[in-house]
Amino acid sequence: MRLKPGVARALTLCVAAAAVMLVLDGVMHVLMAQTPFGGPRPSSAEPQVGGIVGWLLAKQSEFYREMSATIRAAKSDGSAVWTLLAISFAYGIFHAAGPGHGKAVISSYLVANQETARRGIVLSFASALMQSLVAVVIVGICAWLLNASAKTMCGAEKVIEIASYALIAAFGARLVWTKGGGFIRALQASQPVPALALAGHHDHTGHGHDHDRHGHSHSHAHVAHRDHEHRHDDHGHDHDHDHDHDHVHDEHCGHSHGPAPSELAGPGGWRRGFGAIFAVGVRPCSGAILVLVFALAQGMFWAGIAATFVMGLGTAITVAAIAVIAVSAKDLARRLSAGREGGGALVMRGVEFGAAGLVLLFGVGLLLGYIAAERVTCF
Amino acid sequence: MNTLMRRLLNLLLLVGALALGPGAAQAHPHVWITAASELIYAPDGSITGVRHAWTFDDMFSTYALQGLETKTKGVYSREELAPLAQTNVESLKEFGFFTFAKADGKKEKFQEPVDYFLEYKDAALTLHFTLPLKTPVKPKELALEVFDPTYFIDFSFVDKNPIRLVGAPAACQTKFQRPNDGTANAQKLGEQNFMSGDNSNYGAMFANKITVDCP
Repeated sequence: MRLKPGVARALTLCVAAAAVMLVLDGVMHVLMAQTPFGGPRPSSAEPQVGGIVGWLLAKQSEFYREMSATIRAAKSDGSAVWTLLAISFAYGIFHAAGPGHGKAVISSYLVANQETARRGIVLSFASALMQSLVAVVIVGICAWLLNASAKTMCGAEKVIEIASYALIAAFGARLVWTKGGGFIRALQASQPVPALALAGHHDHTGHGHDHDRHGHSHSHAHVAHRDHEHRHDDHGHDHDHDHDHDHVHDEHCGHSHGPAPSELAGPGGWRRGFGAIFAVGVRPCSGAILVLVFALAQGMFWAGIAATFVMGLGTAITVAAIAVIAVSAKDLARRLSAGREGGGALVMRGVEFGAAGLVLLFGVGLLLGYIAAERVTCF
Repeated sequence: MNTLMRRLLNLLLLVGALALGPGAAQAHPHVWITAASELIYAPDGSITGVRHAWTFDDMFSTYALQGLETKTKGVYSREELAPLAQTNVESLKEFGFFTFAKADGKKEKFQEPVDYFLEYKDAALTLHFTLPLKTPVKPKELALEVFDPTYFIDFSFVDKNPIRLVGAPAACQTKFQRPNDGTANAQKLGEQNFMSGDNSNYGAMFANKITVDCP
């Protein structure tokens, strides 16, 4: 393609552009039917959600409230420990299905990046493990070693919570910055599509515009001032003269020409993945803290620790399932829009940008208290 | 392109709403409080305040007592618990004491709590405190709601005498509506809640509603 736009190529592009417009409906339907968060179809979600909420709440409360009695029982009856572990596991599964930003942040992150389902699973388990560890460390140090009061412990929990939210916001901001560039480039690359589309969705004779298309794309690229140099599949020839515009310096995007999925799966990608694990996992579950302190007071700290990790295992399974659904939904969207240049890339970049935006929104929302339901209440 | 962009935007909004909406709202309580409350009346028939007795669940009671040194292990006197009670009422202020009063539809404010203390009995802590109204009121209808908007705390009232009127005029009648902790109620209210898109007051669907009518 570079500097020699063949007629055949141009024709393909235009056909593809029109096809994308047609395929888009399908993609949207697929995405709507299965959102990255595994939510039900929106049309039917509203009447159902109350029922699901109610049921999840009832189940979680049930399991959670059984824990204190079971820990008490385990003091005299060793077999009750197994009951405790079973309850903790079930609680973890239900707990993650209900509240919590963890799964949403991880899923959004996976969608924003070209992540694999396998990595989604690893990230889910790693962040759940970290959450459990943090809870055990907090209670171990504050309550067991220092014999600190509940107020102190809750204060520590609050600080960590705010730090976690800030980290998520920062992480999201960086994703938005990176993905925003990709989205704008994709947007620029597909600028002429509407002209074609408006002229008529099925106007396959539109290939006459092909040369305008490039010119058009160019001028817009300059107006937009964004790091459009990475997008080389349609107009890579503008590389030589726009390096002076501001662009994202990122381990991948610095001056490489758009990361290939294989590059993202490399070590740098893992490093970013650890960012997600840390941001999400650093905030312990208040439930786990309460269980641990209670177990400690009963002289059953080890049982509390075991329960916390089993709880984390349950949580990880649910979060991993949701993450896999999110990744699969995106894969499906990619397959459906694959091979259609411009528009297809635009949809994918748009989805990624949106997912990145969600991570940021979560972070900011949690930080500013808009998502008040996830705040620890100290009293 | 406009259609495309609009669809994309719609999709993002939808995903955002799904993620931030019910997802965030589906908190579940970590603390359970069993409450018994009294409405206190002045001799002239006006309401001066609310007196609460909140008993915390087993787990939270233990948690709250963490790090508290006492003379006898496992025994907590009112004096030993005084600093904790102080912390409790101070912290509860931020949450408006989870007590929301309306006199004839007008929101009423409370003063700082008085006569507060903690009591430890049967492995459970009970927080007693009185919330005086900023100005005593004499409404035809007083509506009192007790709940945590974020639903971190679940409030349920005792079965027997959940609300007592202390010194009220004889004609006053109490109506008490429990949140019926069942899923059916959560479902019904959940729909309204999510339809209106308001998640900030999620816990309101688990509110205990007290109405006192004095003709």
